[in-house]
Amino acid sequence: MPPRKRPPPPVKASDTPPETKPKLAPPSRPTAAAASPSPASSPGPRPPPVPILPDSILNAFPPPEREIYKLVFSGGDRGMTQTEIRTRTRMQPNTLSRHLRSLTSATKGVLKVVNSVHKRAEKMYMDARIDPSPEITGGTWYRDGQLDSDAVAAARRRCRDQIDRLGGVATADAIFAGIGRDCPSTAYSIEQIRDILRTMALDMELEEVRSTGVGEFSDLRAGRVCYRRGGAPQGGMMEGIPCGVCPRVDECSPDGVISPKTCVYYKKWLQMDF
Amino acid sequence: MVSQHGILLAVSIISDHFGPLVSKVCGCLLRHGALPLQEIVRRLELSPGQVKNSLLVLIQHNCVQAFNSPRGSGDKTATHYLANFDNILHRQRFSKFLSVIRADIPESEALLEGLLQNGRLTFDQLVERTISKVPEGSITPSREEIRMNFNKLVFAHYVERCPKPEPFFDPLVDEQSTSTRKRAKTVEIALSIDKKVVNTASLSDAERFSEIPYIMEDASNANDSTHSSIAGTKRKHNALEVDAELNSTIAENEVLWRANFEKFIFCLKKKFCADRKKPKLKVGTHPIWEAFFEASLIERDNNSVTSPINGILERVGQKEGGTLMTLDHITRVLEELNCNPSSEDPDSFILDLSRIVEASQNEEIESLVKKKYGHAAFTIFRLLVRDGCPMETDKIIDTTILDKQIVYGTLYKLLKDDYIETERILSGTGTGNLQFFVWRVKNTFREQFIDNLYHAALNLRQMVNYIADLLLEGSKDDTKLRNRKNILILALTRHDDSLMLFNGF
Repeated sequence: MPPRKRPPPPVKASDTPPETKPKLAPPSRPTAAAASPSPASSPGPRPPPVPILPDSILNAFPPPEREIYKLVFSGGDRGMTQTEIRTRTRMQPNTLSRHLRSLTSATKGVLKVVNSVHKRAEKMYMDARIDPSPEITGGTWYRDGQLDSDAVAAARRRCRDQIDRLGGVATADAIFAGIGRDCPSTAYSIEQIRDILRTMALDMELEEVRSTGVGEFSDLRAGRVCYRRGGAPQGGMMEGIPCGVCPRVDECSPDGVISPKTCVYYKKWLQMDF
Repeated sequence: MVSQHGILLAVSIISDHFGPLVSKVCGCLLRHGALPLQEIVRRLELSPGQVKNSLLVLIQHNCVQAFNSPRGSGDKTATHYLANFDNILHRQRFSKFLSVIRADIPESEALLEGLLQNGRLTFDQLVERTISKVPEGSITPSREEIRMNFNKLVFAHYVERCPKPEPFFDPLVDEQSTSTRKRAKTVEIALSIDKKVVNTASLSDAERFSEIPYIMEDASNANDSTHSSIAGTKRKHNALEVDAELNSTIAENEVLWRANFEKFIFCLKKKFCADRKKPKLKVGTHPIWEAFFEASLIERDNNSVTSPINGILERVGQKEGGTLMTLDHITRVLEELNCNPSSEDPDSFILDLSRIVEASQNEEIESLVKKKYGHAAFTIFRLLVRDGCPMETDKIIDTTILDKQIVYGTLYKLLKDDYIETERILSGTGTGNLQFFVWRVKNTFREQFIDNLYHAALNLRQMVNYIADLLLEGSKDDTKLRNRKNILILALTRHDDSLMLFNGF
């Protein structure tokens, strides 16, 4: 099963922008998020980029802690939850917690706790030297397991500005190239720009259209997917009356306890005292 | 089948117009479908006379259609009565229909008003009514003038001959209507029994919109003695065999006429679509858009508008800046506006209104979701509607780039109010069983929305009646109450546009 997030193109260490961080290739272990009918077809976890701790260090640990470390290490940059560790090791919860505290303590520090954006209720453990995969952290738009709203808003603003600069309608490629040119400090990938543009189209902030090759699309090849500013939002006929947005509409009936004659929203709307 | 609040709304309209007894009969037919007289009597425990009179009122006002249907085995038939929900709802739009005529054929407005008030009339009765309504001191219009104004309504299809009073229809046989109306031929989905009965009762277009013939005065005088025996005599209609004078007499005295609601609804549909798209038009395209609608000819169906290029050019030229527009420019703009050259006539452009109607329906629902549940709900709902297939929670989070907690909370709210549904998927892996949820839009959300529209209309009507009762009781706040009543009536008129939109016009 391929990773949910497509990995960005490799970047030079000196070009790493402050808004993104170099990502390790995620292991191809099937994840809980995948709705794959045949997990057996998913490739196993890829070998982590750092080697396992040498025996000289591991032998100093008690056997249970050694077993726990090796198990967590096998999870690579996707880590492992306490529940998964307990299931596999069949340790008692108290015992496991004690060992994990020891392994993550400042004295040993071979494991670390990571916040997962998908499993916030549980702690995730991984080798302290490994960076968590984007699937754990949420990728570019997530920081410490939380959505980085500012980063998302900034990306949306840049896309909007580029569309205006490019004559009001542009393809994702042109927008991506424009942002790279105008804001070199950012290092969005083309896929990230496409994701943002699709979200803006869902919000109706932008409109996704196909070029016809004529008129406003004269600079674009016919058939290409483009984006332009969305028009003024339409609709809202139902919202002009209290019943449209009433949270109790299912309980309302002509002669019931909740009825138009007794309705507080009507009273407020018509400024009437019943 | 009409939804619960749709039935309550229809019953409320009939009750306001004709009283509680007639509304009871109407409600029974709406809830149970077509029924014979005895069955209605049995269900409502009313006398046959009461039910019969109520049915006569409903038939007179085009709210019920009678038809003959086989009863048991053998040749026996029974008359069944079918309520026409659409025509009942049209009763609250009469003022809109009159405004259509006022704009198009103002001299015929009084005639249409007579038909709307009385349901169906012969031309003779219309003339009598028109003459009786003339204020004292005003000039009484001649019969010829009234006929001329009436024929204008018939020619424009605003008025039609009433359908067959009691056609034969066997629900067990898939009868095709013999009408030449194109709508019956182009329907691809299976019609409900109601629609089939209506189609069976319908006359052909040629018959439906056959004008009242004009006869010369000299010719009619010479044969007065012969034709005096015609009054009260029943004859079968056969335009080819009866001479013109007899034909005219029949058309004036015996044929019942009524308003053609289809035409009025289509006029309102055109206006709605034209106005709806205006805010989205680019600068300079408004004159072309307006000219396209103004130049439309008699429509081929109820889903599209066709206009000849010459008519469009003529009207564009009359608008500000129109004389500077070239044919190429106008043609290109029309195509950008989805007005494409007609395959039947390359010199005409055709616009499919159903796309605008469908887009407007989606906008209304999405707008309400946004207002009620917030912007995140709007985004998520649009995603699920667009995709149309079940989507896993994490995929929704990834695609919308929203915070996970917000997505969870929003999905729960939409689930609770039946906009979406969920399914739990279990996935066994090496570490144990995992479960995740997939979400999709509920396929009944449109029906639910429409039912809420009916409910809102019902509530508005109830409030109007309530304030009317308060005014009758007398109150020192009379002016305030009248203002509130006007607000409600205006809101109901606007809300009715939503009802028409979601009934597909």
